[in-house]
Amino acid sequence: MSKNKKTSSEGIKKRGILETIWRYRVLELMCLPAVLFFFMFSYMPMPGIYVAFVKYNYRKGIFGSKFIGLDNFKFLAESGKLFDLTKNTILYNLAFIILGNFLAILVAILLNEMRSKMFKKVSQTLMFLPYFISQVLVGLLVYSLLNYDTGFINEILVALGKAKWQPYSNPSVWPVIIVLIHLWQQTGYNSVVYFAAICGIDAEIIEAAKVDGANAFQRIRYIILPSLKPTIVILLLFALGGIVRGNFGLFWNVIGSNSVLYPTTDIIETFVYRATMSDFNFSTASAVGFYQSLVGFVIVMLANLAVKKIDPDYSLF
Amino acid sequence: MKKKLLAALLSVSMVIGLAACGSSGSSAGTGSAPASSGDESGASANEAAAEIDTSEHVVINYLTTGDPPEAGTEKEANLNEMLGELNKILTEKCNAEIQIYYIPWTDYLSNYNLTLARMDGSVDLIGTASDWLDAWPNAKNGAFLELSEDMLKTYAPKTWESVPADHWELCKYNGEIYLMPEDNFAQWTNHGWIYRLDWAKEAGLENGVHSWEDMSKYVLWVKENKKDLKYVWDSDGTEYAQMSNGWIASHTDFVAIDGICSGALWGGTKSDLYKVTTPVMTETESLVEYAKLMKEWSQAGIWPTDVLNNTSGSNRDEFRVGQVGVEQHHTQTWTDLCSATAQNTIYKDDPKAETGFFYFGEETKNVVALSITHGAMAVSAGSANPERALMVYDLIRNDKDCYMLFNYGIEGKSWELDENGLRKTPDSYNPDTENINGMTNYWWGRNDDLEVKDATRNWDAIDKLYAEYDKIKIDYPYGQFVPEVDSIQAKIDNCNEQYTNYMKQISYGIYNGSAEDIVAEMQAALKSAGIDDVTAELQKQFDELYK
Repeated sequence: MSKNKKTSSEGIKKRGILETIWRYRVLELMCLPAVLFFFMFSYMPMPGIYVAFVKYNYRKGIFGSKFIGLDNFKFLAESGKLFDLTKNTILYNLAFIILGNFLAILVAILLNEMRSKMFKKVSQTLMFLPYFISQVLVGLLVYSLLNYDTGFINEILVALGKAKWQPYSNPSVWPVIIVLIHLWQQTGYNSVVYFAAICGIDAEIIEAAKVDGANAFQRIRYIILPSLKPTIVILLLFALGGIVRGNFGLFWNVIGSNSVLYPTTDIIETFVYRATMSDFNFSTASAVGFYQSLVGFVIVMLANLAVKKIDPDYSLF
Repeated sequence: MKKKLLAALLSVSMVIGLAACGSSGSSAGTGSAPASSGDESGASANEAAAEIDTSEHVVINYLTTGDPPEAGTEKEANLNEMLGELNKILTEKCNAEIQIYYIPWTDYLSNYNLTLARMDGSVDLIGTASDWLDAWPNAKNGAFLELSEDMLKTYAPKTWESVPADHWELCKYNGEIYLMPEDNFAQWTNHGWIYRLDWAKEAGLENGVHSWEDMSKYVLWVKENKKDLKYVWDSDGTEYAQMSNGWIASHTDFVAIDGICSGALWGGTKSDLYKVTTPVMTETESLVEYAKLMKEWSQAGIWPTDVLNNTSGSNRDEFRVGQVGVEQHHTQTWTDLCSATAQNTIYKDDPKAETGFFYFGEETKNVVALSITHGAMAVSAGSANPERALMVYDLIRNDKDCYMLFNYGIEGKSWELDENGLRKTPDSYNPDTENINGMTNYWWGRNDDLEVKDATRNWDAIDKLYAEYDKIKIDYPYGQFVPEVDSIQAKIDNCNEQYTNYMKQISYGIYNGSAEDIVAEMQAALKSAGIDDVTAELQKQFDELYK
């Protein structure tokens, strides 16, 4: 390194690309796992997207099968449900993203303000636990809670002399139930990122504010929240990329085949799963995946552009 | 600018990465093995008629649907003991052994299709069916090996001889044989209501249930009078299609075409077999009546209120022990439930207990015999040893010793002959661990020449019903019709999806609004999903084939 110090910037340019690669070898080595990961799992399978444009034959393989253009995309358009499905998917994801992040930040701040270490650890663990419960179990739990004949809630209502509640035939209550389930499962996990970001704030600033007489609310309002802003923006942008991708596990296990509830709970994933089960078609499924990727890409680009307009420092690129 | 472009590309890759996860599975297993195996088999079949090279010992994987016995249990040990015996014979006769590859019942159809799509040689013999296991779509997708006449004559000579030429015709697609049919086994898989005949008599139905009206009287009576049941019918929300098919069969002379989609939407009529009709669109009045009746049952509490989300029931087992009063399934299941086997404890607990069967179509005498490809064996195009797979199948299907072992287990342990030459279970028999038949799930080539009648079955009742069927049945008329659906697949999928969603609500009587409205709504949805276009296309293909 000491050698390079003496050389002028002109000198570096002359040394060419190999020299540069060699100079930053340590950093590059640190990057390598991530680069490899994305190369193997994102770039190598990418040509496979071609399967969305062929009539896939097992024996001929993806590139040997007959090219049929956009026919595989027809199915989604012809269903007449594309708009409703996309709308449901996006609205649910918006609710998940907005409420989820809001709650996660709130929880992270509350955890940070707690003084009792014991209580802090216990509550953090308890909030984290639902994240590890399989969606299949979540579906069963919800059914055991809510079903009409023997559900927990209805047993209580009957014991109290009230009329029974019948959510499984009432589509309008499900957006609320599903969002609640999602928050219950994910908030503990999501708050960890924010909690870490809060721990990363320079303690001196907070100390100084305390000395200046700022109370807890002022500290949160004027120090913690502004410091979290970059984290919030980045997480939001990432989340937006997946906004047309539904949480299949959650919806499939909680709603399942109850078609009465589909008007408010059917998302792209569940519809595609049901409709293509009957003719097991890789190509159609890939076409749908491709459609979701495209919409996701456009949304990320637009959101990033918007962020950049407002404050270039916070944009992803 | 460069940086921007790079960043944009990166984020594309990130978003697509998620999508690619799904498709990478499909791309990974394709391409390699199958092409070679096809060529080899063709070549060797021609020259090897006289001497078959079996010098190398091979393992043939036999794929079947069903849950495997749990590892380490006595049940598994019993299965392995039988397989050990069988493999001794197979090794001696064709230097091969058989292994079972299970596709468990949970999501069996998608797992089945996924396994076939892998084409990595992990399975050789594939149990399949044209009506309930996507045999034709898989044949079209290239999952099955074309079985040339030479191959069959050389490696499966007994099967080749025993299946008549017109049956082989029904196993062809584009002139190539893909399936070896189970065409010599008497069974009926037409659906209907299985009910307690003794209770029906108590309810005043002296002759049992013979129509939907009787059935309605029966279920409502059971609901009122058998208070200690779990439910009258602990349904799990998956029977909607059979129920509506049953209603149509009982009220029209409709004959459905198998294997287009899960719902029986298209078919002909007994009076005009080759004119495509869609009763769901034309039988409006009847469907409204159906929707009303089902709402009545639903409101009476015949099944769980949240039936569509009820995945915890196991109605058939509950029927065996008398916790429910109804089961919806096919004749073959009834032959089990009506017999005083060890599992069916209702007959021990109550000497008066009897189980009746009201088959769909009884009122209109509308019963279609089973298609011979309801069960069939295919060879995977990814198999490394298709010749040996055929030899193993030929033995299991036609060799008495192999057949007995594979279907019933070891004689003296899992079964024995009684004085009348019927098959019974030894005293030491444990139905939970020694039921080999329930583990090998061999539904793809059973053979009445080798079958030994089960002494525990209620043959008086069964033979009576079979005789009744034989009088009124027609043969499945569309065995040769394998529709080309590429151009209309999207419409079929969408129609099936709409039909399924509405039929669930109608069949379980849980729709909002009036019966007239829900039927009209369904018909409008089907219309916009393109049901008429599909009908027209099918009619066109019908005309080409049958005129």
